[in-house]
Amino acid sequence: MFKKFSTEEVSAQNQVKASVQRKIRQSIADEYPGLEQVLEDLIPKKSPLIVAKCQNHLNLVVVNNVPLFFNIRDGPYMPTLRLLHQYPDIMKKLQVDRGAIRFVLSGANIMCPGLTSPGGSLDDEVGAETPVAIMAEGKQHALAIGFTKMSAKEIRDINKGIGVDNMHYLNDGLWKSGYIVALATSLSFAAY
Amino acid sequence: MAGKPQPVRVLYCAVCSLPAEYCEFGPDFEKCKPWLIQNAPDLYPDLVKEANAKETDKVANQLQSTGISSGGGDGAASSAPKEEVKRLPGGKIKKKEKQEVTIEKVTRNKRKSITTVKGLELFGVKLSDASKKLGKKFATGASVVKGPTEKDQIDVQGDIAYDIVEFITDTWPDVPEAAIFFIEDGRKVPAA
Repeated sequence: MFKKFSTEEVSAQNQVKASVQRKIRQSIADEYPGLEQVLEDLIPKKSPLIVAKCQNHLNLVVVNNVPLFFNIRDGPYMPTLRLLHQYPDIMKKLQVDRGAIRFVLSGANIMCPGLTSPGGSLDDEVGAETPVAIMAEGKQHALAIGFTKMSAKEIRDINKGIGVDNMHYLNDGLWKSGYIVALATSLSFAAY
Repeated sequence: MAGKPQPVRVLYCAVCSLPAEYCEFGPDFEKCKPWLIQNAPDLYPDLVKEANAKETDKVANQLQSTGISSGGGDGAASSAPKEEVKRLPGGKIKKKEKQEVTIEKVTRNKRKSITTVKGLELFGVKLSDASKKLGKKFATGASVVKGPTEKDQIDVQGDIAYDIVEFITDTWPDVPEAAIFFIEDGRKVPAA
């Protein structure tokens, strides 16, 4: 989805009303209970929250110039990979085998066999149509964020075709657009 | 800070911006290697070994060359040729654009036609000048139009396909006749 994405695709960005901001915070908190304690750090109540509207009904939640979440139409909010790397346990995880990494990193959707093979693993609680983190065999960090097409059980049973839609993956357009910001923050980390 | 999950600090490669463990799947693993050896030696033990082997060779070489020149020139020379290969995001090597002029006749309204000329700019011809010249020569309207895939092309009103070859080679001697092609029924036919 973000294969080609740049700041030019943002058609409008505006600071949202406090009420909308509260709504966004609430839905994020509902969806990611693990984030509740850090939500205040991520999205401070005081600082302005910007929602950038992009093509294909895509919304980005931006705080301090850092894209943190995105959603499509009125769908669930999904964290960007950089955020997920910081708080890896907020999402349910699915793991793909090593052979699949290459394809996922070029934007392919995640096929069932890659999840059911010995290198992959499935969280049985995952239902259909939920955002999940895609991990990889032998790697520590997530490589993509997906949106399941079927539940974990179905993936096991059917074991064919697309199991998870690839929404956002390492080195796609959204990742790159956050790159400059990330550089700056890592520099400030270094200053500590 | 009690109970608050601390953000995980992820090591990102300074070259390709991916987390260091994904460099091997990144757009350009070769370029990342030196950075990885310095910053994440434990992730790729093989690399370090490889590098050590090379390093001993290098030291031996440098010992010989220091007598002639200082070490500074060495690095610059080796980095320069690498830059020439342009990389697309997928890690594919960008093909150098072929220098050719293609001429296509597009019919409109049955007996009226437009001749489009693509690729003149590859020979260092200014398109706005060229369109003016073409219009003058054939006494028709000629304009620079944004073609598909973001390229400029010249549209000339009327069917001038046959005279145009001679005109192009006469006005711009840089353009060889062999580099001019017609498109007929979707096939490329050399004009010469």
